[in-house]
Amino acid sequence: MTDLAAAAGAPQTRVDPVTASVIRGALENIAVEMGYKLMRMSYSSIIRESEDFGAAIIDAEGNQLCESTQSTPLQSGPIPGYVRGMMRIMAERGEPIEPGDVIMHNDPYGGASHGPDVGFILPVFHADTLVGFAVTTAHHLDIGALSPGSCGIVDAMDAYAEGLQFKAIKVYQRDRKVEPVWQMLRDNIRTSDLVVGDMEAQVAACRIGAQRYLDLIERYGLETVTGAYADLLDYSERLMRQAIADLPDGDYAATTHIDGYLDQDDETKKKLPLCVTLKVRGDALTVDLTGTAKQIDDKPINMPLEGTVDCAIWLTLRSILLDSEEYGHIPQNSGLTRPITILAPKGSMVNPVFPAPTIARFCPGNQLADTLMKALSNVVPDKVAAGIGNLRVIAFSGLKGETHWVHMEIFEGAYGGRHGLDGMDAIDTLYANTRNNPIEDLESHLPLRINRYELRDDVCPAGQWRGGLGSVREFTYLEDGGASIEGEGHAFAPWGFAGGADGATASLTLRRADGAEQAMPSKLPHTATGAGDTFIVTGPAGGGYGDPFKRDPARVRADVLDGFVTPDAARTEYGVAITPDGEVDAAATDSLRAGRS
Amino acid sequence: MRLVGVDVGGTFTDVVFTDTEENRTLIHKVPTTPHDPSEGVLQGVVELCNRHDIRRGDVDHVLHGTTIATNAVLEHAGATTGMITSEGYRDIVHIGRHQRPQNYSIQQEIPWQDRVLVQRRNRVTVKERRVPPTGEVLVPLDEDGVREAARALKAKGVESVAVCFLFSYIDPAHEQRAAEIVREEFPEAFVTTSASVSPQFREFERFTTATINAYIGPKVTRYVNKLERDLTDGGVGGDLHVMGSNGGIATAQMVAEKPVMTLLSGPAAGVLGGAWTGELCGRDNLITFDVGGTSADIGIIRDGQFGEATARDTWIAGYPLMVPMIDIHTIGAGGGSIAYVDHGGAFKVGPRSAGAVPGPAAYGRGGDEPTVTDANLVLGRLDKDNFLGGSMALDEVAARRAIAGLAEQLKLDEAATAEGVLTIVNANMANAIRSRTVQKGIDPRDFSLVAFGGAGPLHGAEVAAMLGIPEVIVPPYPGITSAVGLLTTDLKYDAIKTEFQVQGDVDFARLSNDFQAMEAELTEQLKADGIDPAAITYLRAADLRYVGQGYELRIPVPPGEVDAAVGETIWQAFHDKHQAEYGHAFADSPIEIVNVRVTGVGEMAKIGQPAIVSGLSFKAAEVKRGVCQFRVDDSLQSFDTVFYARDRLPLNEEMAGPAVILQTDTTTVVPPGCRFTARSDGNLMISIGGSA
Repeated sequence: MTDLAAAAGAPQTRVDPVTASVIRGALENIAVEMGYKLMRMSYSSIIRESEDFGAAIIDAEGNQLCESTQSTPLQSGPIPGYVRGMMRIMAERGEPIEPGDVIMHNDPYGGASHGPDVGFILPVFHADTLVGFAVTTAHHLDIGALSPGSCGIVDAMDAYAEGLQFKAIKVYQRDRKVEPVWQMLRDNIRTSDLVVGDMEAQVAACRIGAQRYLDLIERYGLETVTGAYADLLDYSERLMRQAIADLPDGDYAATTHIDGYLDQDDETKKKLPLCVTLKVRGDALTVDLTGTAKQIDDKPINMPLEGTVDCAIWLTLRSILLDSEEYGHIPQNSGLTRPITILAPKGSMVNPVFPAPTIARFCPGNQLADTLMKALSNVVPDKVAAGIGNLRVIAFSGLKGETHWVHMEIFEGAYGGRHGLDGMDAIDTLYANTRNNPIEDLESHLPLRINRYELRDDVCPAGQWRGGLGSVREFTYLEDGGASIEGEGHAFAPWGFAGGADGATASLTLRRADGAEQAMPSKLPHTATGAGDTFIVTGPAGGGYGDPFKRDPARVRADVLDGFVTPDAARTEYGVAITPDGEVDAAATDSLRAGRS
Repeated sequence: MRLVGVDVGGTFTDVVFTDTEENRTLIHKVPTTPHDPSEGVLQGVVELCNRHDIRRGDVDHVLHGTTIATNAVLEHAGATTGMITSEGYRDIVHIGRHQRPQNYSIQQEIPWQDRVLVQRRNRVTVKERRVPPTGEVLVPLDEDGVREAARALKAKGVESVAVCFLFSYIDPAHEQRAAEIVREEFPEAFVTTSASVSPQFREFERFTTATINAYIGPKVTRYVNKLERDLTDGGVGGDLHVMGSNGGIATAQMVAEKPVMTLLSGPAAGVLGGAWTGELCGRDNLITFDVGGTSADIGIIRDGQFGEATARDTWIAGYPLMVPMIDIHTIGAGGGSIAYVDHGGAFKVGPRSAGAVPGPAAYGRGGDEPTVTDANLVLGRLDKDNFLGGSMALDEVAARRAIAGLAEQLKLDEAATAEGVLTIVNANMANAIRSRTVQKGIDPRDFSLVAFGGAGPLHGAEVAAMLGIPEVIVPPYPGITSAVGLLTTDLKYDAIKTEFQVQGDVDFARLSNDFQAMEAELTEQLKADGIDPAAITYLRAADLRYVGQGYELRIPVPPGEVDAAVGETIWQAFHDKHQAEYGHAFADSPIEIVNVRVTGVGEMAKIGQPAIVSGLSFKAAEVKRGVCQFRVDDSLQSFDTVFYARDRLPLNEEMAGPAVILQTDTTTVVPPGCRFTARSDGNLMISIGGSA
């Protein structure tokens, strides 16, 4: 129907456009309120500061109706998958979903993103009919894995080693708190005060969302609300189809690589290819991941197809084809994903088979998003960024008496240059959009000192629009502790585009209290540290975009004055002559630039 | 006391004079002079005085609302700014929180990277470092390094310098010493320190706030100095005071030091004007609804007090700003908001606005896109011959043409389209109000909506109905409510200190001392401004959170000694507020006192109740009859509607809608089912029929 309607130029709708607009605003408001309250109530900095959480309303069929705008895409995006996975499991077990239930779910083979991202799902009933779900997801600080924290568990050998698995577990049943489950959480999770507090905040936010969704149904009637959001899904689908139809039919391919485990002898565990072929056919497209490395049976960098791979693909496509800078705010919902088919070979890293571990899929997934962007660069070169610098997550931890402290910090990457714009500097990339923690908050509450937080001024990838700059952060332990680390981008630099230079790789150094320095791989399982030990975390720089010799000399000059480009590099990389007093020498620049061609 | 309030808006400069002894209030409007707004200010004051035989020299105070600081930030037209910061942290203001403003965009700009306030070449680091919790010195301040940095910045031609050190909110001594050295080396520079502007933790936000202060400092200082001089030269008596974002006024000197205080000057005055309006008719739970051509500003008054925004929710032009501000929520919805059908076929209104030029199609200035004003005209709710007191005829044909184009795209008829435009924009406004009320545990049904600005009274009744708000109050002069608000405020300064003290381990003596020290500091400041210590009051508060949380809630703290018993009441108040705001409380979790704060209020003379106007009769007030369309019981219906002149309405007599009430600066719509009364206190009161 939607195809026909789109072809006819006048979309058919179930509800008048005015009511539809009002209901759309109201739905969005609900998710925003859920997110707002979750963020403000939560304890762990990974939720409240990094904003690594999601909130959404899902209909009874598992379609996402709205998401909270504050959350990170990788959290809200998978929520429909959580609900579908939960429903599958409940059906298999023959367990009913009843009013007053709250269901906890984190099964990466059942729609969840990965174990630490625990979803709380509250079914909403109207006149005894299931009308949808209010759902929140959040990254929890610890989930009872082998070492403290819920990241950097890079040597988990299977799904069981990753921590607690919740496969559709009721934590409230018909309004009654299922105390044994909560007790088990308290007993099996480190820093359980924080984690359980955050879980309670998630449930409280769901209750608000459910109430508001019911209010909406009571005000407008179920049929009108259902019709309005069916229209809303069609609307999003129509936008995506139009954007795809604007692309010329064809196959567009790209490959990038991830580090994997650089310090391992086993060649099958390092320098692994991610392959994307984008097949555009009319107003639909297929993303074929054939060629991507096989799953690693005993290392957790495999990416669940549902919850990570699909989100990476959907979010990258919409960010490029329906860029909100150009299209304005388009609600994220299931309609956007209807024209997209994903082919991921079973048993590959992008569609692993249980119990292959997946907990450290964050960085590989973002690299997959980047690979898709690279494939798109063949067809919409003006809408992409050159290669992005990937991210890193560190769980800092220690023991005070019998109690753990754990702090998770997500480290920024950088964007590549863009058509008409330099890359965004030192920032979260593609499917992640979290926040760092203020130094003044961290040092006031943890035995850590942050000695340095600055832009890297040693590399500045050249381009007509240069790559985004990386960052350097140094963390020193004031007491004995440890760290678990998952990162990427130590071996492969972000790709330059259309004549732009490649970006710069990331690196990690552990400087012991005695001054001895050691370069570390991008994956570091829990490693003990002593007071005075320091991690020096150097972030990647994004790829350059376009021929550097075409860069506006005034921009080259600005980078020289700001200390990112040396006068020598200005001359050799950009063909721009800068005088000793910091001005552009126009005549010398012209001759340098003429000389090259 | 003779007070003059002057509010500079985008189009008009509004002047209000009040003599508090004679209880006489006069108003005047002159065009704003954008190249130098002080010209318009002086002209407005002089003209008003001349017209009413007031001796300019008899004016006691001039209270001023200005957008000079705001525009400098929005237009990115501030001073070349330098920064001296702690070694190792040169790029805090560039990296920010490493989060993109938009989730789904490759082509987006990052305000703090693409529109930098202080370029990296002008950010110089010096050795110094303090550490928490006591601010102990880890690395002493390298004074020679500061001196060198000051010279270097001077040589580079910066005009102003922000000194931003980590943990300066615990102990500002390093920042203060560095500022002293900069002033020695570079006396002509505008110098500011981060702790003096906002002594709170969160370095990116504090440094950025200090940088904005430095960035706008020279411009605001020049403006304030010139205006003071011009007023003196023009024979206008009294001190100049400027409205701050915190809802208080400050002396010209204070504003020249901390211009960042004035970034929300205009809208803040609007909220105060709204509060005064409510007070006239004995209402103290109010939602102020100030709608102009481009945006709607929404403020909440509970028990006569306006709320303050939390430090983490305040932004300007995409930069975070950490200074006390009235909690005002602004959305892009106003008379000029453009209605359109987007790429995917959805019907939307705003935030893009036709502005004043070309303006709505109905203005006949070449605008051809359908706007909210056009929809109001098509539905008969605006009278083309009586818009802005008849000073501007509206082009009904152009408005219909614009709406018809939209109707064709939507496959709706013209009236349904026009009504749809209003329903959508009203729903947007209602959603904005809901986000400040329902979502924070406040029930809007206990509130009155004060509708003002050029378009507030057109939409107020329907927005109120959507939210179940029982009544709408339209002030006597809805178009100059901000200027009136200037005459209702006090001198008001804020002090704040970060504590990080945890329940069960609180040093109450330290808390008491900190409160007393802040009060002493405020007393000095207010005394220096000429306030009698007896006229000073202090409002204490503390920002609390459960240990581990990242967002605080503000809890009032009683005056006097703070001891364990006071502590108990504070903890309980926090649990209660957490429950009210978020729908949940963690009764067993320990609480942390993050900041303590004191607001010092120096009482000023204020505008009194307006003289009672004598009304005529409904018959005498009737201007014309027309047909207006309203949606009633879910269908669009036509109603014979009487248009009244507001200044001739009988007092305290109720009349049923539908009705349209005309006055020079706005049009008020009373839909069917609602009733209205012109009251002897000067307000127009609409009671909303039924509850939605």
